[in-house]
Amino acid sequence: MKPKLKFSPWLFWLIGLSLVIALGVGAGVIVFWKGLSVTNLSDLVPWGLWITIDLSSIAVSAGAFSLCAAVYLLGLKRYQPVARTATFIGLIGYTMALLTLLLDIGRPDRFWHAVVYWNKHSLLWEVTMCVTLYLTVLLLESLPIFARFDWLKRRWPKLAERMSHVHHYAPYLAVVGLGLSMLHQSSLGAVYGVLKARPFWYRPDVSVLFIISAVAGGMSLTVFFSMLSARLTRRANVDDSLLERVSFFIGWTLVLYLYFRFWDALSMTYTYQPGRTEGLQLLTQGPLSFNFWVGEMFLGIVIPMVLLLYRPTRTSSLWRMVALLLVVGGVVAYRWDTNLSGLMIVLSYLPGEPIVAYTHYFPSLIEILSGAGVVAYGLLAFSLGVRYLKVVDHEAAEVSVEGEHLAEAAAASIT
Amino acid sequence: MSQPKLNRRDFLKVAAVGAAVVAGAQAIRRAEASTPAPSGGRQWAMVIDQALCNGCGYCILACRAHNDISPELTWNPVLEAGQVGGKEVYLPRPCMQCSHAPCVDVCPVKASEYRPDGIVMMDYDRCIGCRYCEVACPYGARAFNWKGFDGPNPAVPEWGQPEVERRPRGVVEKCAFCYQRIDRGLSLGLTPGVDPDATPACVVVCPVNARFFGDLNDPNSIVSRLLAARPSFTLRADLGTGPRVYYLPATEGNA
Repeated sequence: MKPKLKFSPWLFWLIGLSLVIALGVGAGVIVFWKGLSVTNLSDLVPWGLWITIDLSSIAVSAGAFSLCAAVYLLGLKRYQPVARTATFIGLIGYTMALLTLLLDIGRPDRFWHAVVYWNKHSLLWEVTMCVTLYLTVLLLESLPIFARFDWLKRRWPKLAERMSHVHHYAPYLAVVGLGLSMLHQSSLGAVYGVLKARPFWYRPDVSVLFIISAVAGGMSLTVFFSMLSARLTRRANVDDSLLERVSFFIGWTLVLYLYFRFWDALSMTYTYQPGRTEGLQLLTQGPLSFNFWVGEMFLGIVIPMVLLLYRPTRTSSLWRMVALLLVVGGVVAYRWDTNLSGLMIVLSYLPGEPIVAYTHYFPSLIEILSGAGVVAYGLLAFSLGVRYLKVVDHEAAEVSVEGEHLAEAAAASIT
Repeated sequence: MSQPKLNRRDFLKVAAVGAAVVAGAQAIRRAEASTPAPSGGRQWAMVIDQALCNGCGYCILACRAHNDISPELTWNPVLEAGQVGGKEVYLPRPCMQCSHAPCVDVCPVKASEYRPDGIVMMDYDRCIGCRYCEVACPYGARAFNWKGFDGPNPAVPEWGQPEVERRPRGVVEKCAFCYQRIDRGLSLGLTPGVDPDATPACVVVCPVNARFFGDLNDPNSIVSRLLAARPSFTLRADLGTGPRVYYLPATEGNA
């Protein structure tokens, strides 16, 4: 008699992710123990890999607010199961951002200060408040998802029922979520955009670019993970016509995004302001040029835009998945490049000498390991959600709502 | 069908709890708000004569000793600023104590604040170490405490005695015009900029007297008289930050 434990791909996946998480936790402990001197961050480049993970995980969580708004405010009810997946991804994404922020700030024990000591002029304060409040909204929106956990239903059926009841507030939550997300998704760009000391960042449209790219990236990640889950496990099932429509919308979002990127780049080309021209050159010809042309523009926008707008490639699930993954990669590359391009240029303040010097940055092993741990946590949480909470389930969602009504009716008849 | 009504009531309850939490947070914030330091309408400023500065760097060491700064950090560096008339010119760079300081605007927790006398103060007990101020400062005047600093300060006692508490690891540090010397001096009836005990340590230690300190609102202070008598400039005046550190340029004639 052999034990029932089988070395299935699922088990390997769990073990692999747990190993990366363990390494990440180890690296995180070193960060908290030794302080930020174990990073390659410096006074010239104080923000690096972690801020990129932070910005990216918030950006790719934008599917939650956009799809919930579509379902509950625009009345596109049939996308509700996709919005459910997006909400769960959003919850994971924002907790990833919080974990990374805890690593990144010098005094993680004071993380709550922004909630108590308000500086209403600071965009970072606004972002912190919005993220905190929106995480609450996401938690409430996810309660019906957690209510589907079989163990919970068996152990505490009343609690599970109450949790699934929160579903009735979904339209209210969608309004609040839309407001908060539109604020902080754009303000994350404005965090850079308001800094006059950094000419390359100092422009009004970074906020617009951040929210448009976030909507594209957030929806892409949701659709991609839905399709991938449906391919890998029978516990996930998708209605491909829904995902195909969302992908079509992503294609048009990319058109809008490219349009704004074009005018953004063109308007910067002819200013000749010291620091700004150099920043643009850093992207178009300098050390970030591969990221910019290949990662952000060609693979991140142009190729997926064509693949998602051209019907034959959009309906092919392989091409569609490739395109969606490229969009996510492009959004991450944009966040990385935005952060680094402004920091790598050191503008002199000496009189009459607008000298521009360049610095460089590459994350240390500790930064990479702890960052990878956060990403692995996100993947693990999503995998468990697919398996035990059926977060990718386009068939049963309608049934569960019906079932809820039946249960309510039954409860009413008893009392 | 009384279900929807109950939902709305529950929703309002949740909203009420949320409002209470926000109000509570506000109350804590108000309770802990610091009382502004008395200023008597003074506006402190520093004037640095580039024609006199010889780049010895004593100011860096005095600053480290009096403010108990880690030897790996510098609040107040001296930069090489080219040559005039075949002679090296230097540019000491304390915090500019801007009247429109980007660091004060961007800090998410109000750890940077203006004093009524114009000094941009850091609240080291409040700073969360996000380093946004460092990114926002056009003058690189902020130094993050990456490693922490234990043990004796090598600048002590030769260059002075620590007068302020040593900062913990993980906060952003900066020059504050030796506010502790100003405040203590004023309470003893001394005049900052005139009496060494009431004047920033870098001004006192300078062996060639290239630094001057005083009240801009007092027309007879040394800084007011120097700025009236000689041409001066501030760093990156184009940014509109309004620095309170003025430089008297080195010229072919006075270098």
